[in-house]
Amino acid sequence: MSNVILFNLTTVLFGVASGLYLGALYAKNGKIAVAGTWVCVLAAVVSTAALGLRWYESYQMGIGRIPVTNLYESLVFFAWAVNLFYLLVERKYGSRTFGAFVMPIAFLTMLFAVKNDSSIQPLVPALQSYWLHAHVITCFVGYAAFAVSAGVALMYLLKSKQEAAKINAGVVGLLPGCKTLDDLIYRSIIWGFPFLTAGIITGAAWANYAWGTYWSWDPKETWSLIVWLVYAAFLHARITRGWHGTRAAVLSISGFLATVMCYLGVNLVLSGLHSYGGG
Amino acid sequence: MVDAKHTASPMDRVWNFFTSVKLAIVTLIVLASTSVVGTIIEQNQPPEKYHRIYEDWAFALMDRLNLFDMYHSWWFLLLLVLFTVNLSCCTIDRFPKMLKVVRNPRTKLDESLEKTLSLSDRWKKKGSLSEWTERYAAALSSSFAKPRITEDGGVTHLYAEAGVASRFGVYVTHLSIIVIFIGAILGNVFGFKGYVNIPEGEEVSRVPVRGGSRMQDLGFTLRCNAFSLETYPSGQPKAYKSDLSVINGGREVLRKTIVVNDPLRFNGIWFYQSSYGQAGGATAQVAVSRRDGTPMGGLSLAANEPVPIDGYGIVRGVNYDPNFQGNGPALQVVVEKPGQPASSFWLLQSRPDLDRRRNDALVFSFSGLTSKMYTGLQVAKDPGVNVVWLGCAFMVIGLVMAFFLSHQRVWVRLSPGADGRVDVVLAASASRNRLAFEKKFEKILTGVKSEGK
Repeated sequence: MSNVILFNLTTVLFGVASGLYLGALYAKNGKIAVAGTWVCVLAAVVSTAALGLRWYESYQMGIGRIPVTNLYESLVFFAWAVNLFYLLVERKYGSRTFGAFVMPIAFLTMLFAVKNDSSIQPLVPALQSYWLHAHVITCFVGYAAFAVSAGVALMYLLKSKQEAAKINAGVVGLLPGCKTLDDLIYRSIIWGFPFLTAGIITGAAWANYAWGTYWSWDPKETWSLIVWLVYAAFLHARITRGWHGTRAAVLSISGFLATVMCYLGVNLVLSGLHSYGGG
Repeated sequence: MVDAKHTASPMDRVWNFFTSVKLAIVTLIVLASTSVVGTIIEQNQPPEKYHRIYEDWAFALMDRLNLFDMYHSWWFLLLLVLFTVNLSCCTIDRFPKMLKVVRNPRTKLDESLEKTLSLSDRWKKKGSLSEWTERYAAALSSSFAKPRITEDGGVTHLYAEAGVASRFGVYVTHLSIIVIFIGAILGNVFGFKGYVNIPEGEEVSRVPVRGGSRMQDLGFTLRCNAFSLETYPSGQPKAYKSDLSVINGGREVLRKTIVVNDPLRFNGIWFYQSSYGQAGGATAQVAVSRRDGTPMGGLSLAANEPVPIDGYGIVRGVNYDPNFQGNGPALQVVVEKPGQPASSFWLLQSRPDLDRRRNDALVFSFSGLTSKMYTGLQVAKDPGVNVVWLGCAFMVIGLVMAFFLSHQRVWVRLSPGADGRVDVVLAASASRNRLAFEKKFEKILTGVKSEGK
């Protein structure tokens, strides 16, 4: 299937982009980073085409459904969203050093994805609903924003250590200042949080329409609530108690770990109603 | 200086405890970390299952802590109550203050306020103070928002603001949580959740309520006319369909075929396709005709159940073979006629005329096995659900107001300078996204400064 070939190409492009961004940091060469950006743009085009093609191919097979319904598809969709969110951040903040910390997340996600079954399977009756689109898209935009925030939080931890020691050398010296990083950690979360909220709400609405219960404390639901609570704590700590810097960065990383648990851990470790995983 | 904490009365201390954001953060983190437990220990399983997994002492301890149904335990509910009380107290404490600030904004740019504003600029202009007041008011209106003008001892202040709604975002969000909880309580008190299996052709008017022995009267009758299962060519399930009828006052008032994700609703009660299965054993369908070919109707033979035919005898289906001697599905039938020995013979599904060879008064032909199915339906009545959706809508609106709007304020002070010119100070602040506001500030500043050039 040609969509899988395009996704494999996307994986390679994410790998190349990660390499270029990391290389640019080590060589302190901005031109290499510019090449990284162009590879990311190319990857965005290729992966978008791949998603569209996969959608089209599902219609050709007589199944006809949005390509976000199993582990393989959700992973490639997540990587696609991370890449786009990253490109927006790069454009807005005018710094290419973020790429070295964010693009590897997209690359590793794709590496994990290609290990999974990539065939297009028909939808089980439980997933045949228009709510699927709204639910998955809102959740994954939220996840992608949290991934970017955690990547930046990692940069912050490296940078703040160096700024404290008043040195500005080496690879870390090229990173944007602590103030910018700290701001971006927060900014990504205030994008992610409303999307996660909308994802939980659309999930509840769907569950109510399919099963007659909008909340049943199943592990997936509960973990999405845990993620929501952690970021809610982050926002309160940040806005009203002035938690900046290291403490905020650590909370952002813990929030993302909870997100990974919600997204993958629940399916791989625990049992529940969500279908992807196990595959 | 007197420490406020030490002079506070016990009542104040309780109030301070419940209005603190520190408590909110701690509650959020405690709720998050305790919630993890219930995802690791499978909830609401039969006790035998837990006994297989855990030692007796561990089982006793966990049972004592309600860990097998922790989300409905007294201590988890207590945490949720604490969370709600904290939320409400914070709102009661802060909302009036915020409202006061919004209603009576600081319209004068005095020295103390100026010091707190990082975005500011000052310059001098020749001409009269009133003339520049008018010009700058017009410039602010076009580049930002219409200002209020205050005069105070020969000094004129302009004050303009935008995005006041952002101040309300946090209250709308907090209110939304309380609305959702109210909806959930309404649903729990006035609604019910049940589950019922209805075999094809049968009907129910009462359903067992989940988690109890109570039966809930529906107030009408629901009949399952048929259940069917569709599969993809690969054999994976494509659709589970139940053809349902609502019977009210002795007649059918509604008929709908439901599938997963498309329930039936009547009188506020919803029926959701949930499962299915075989109701009882399979029955063999046998067509009966006279020797001259006149059809006599069909028989439905359950395994070994005798079925009498008037003036003929008793017929029983005794055996079924999915591939009888390589000829496909077949049914073994025993016929007992009064005063005659029982006769036994096989009917092949693929050869409906085969039985003519028996030269009997009646000819039987086997048309296949059918099994009666039942449909499993979730039944729910939740009068609070729309309140929950209202709360959810508030939450999204509140979050957007809080995070994507920013309360932006701009002040201009015009005062007579010592050299006969007008001293002008322009300063601004934004409650959120200050980096982006800096750019906007530059624009406002250029807009105002270019006035009268």
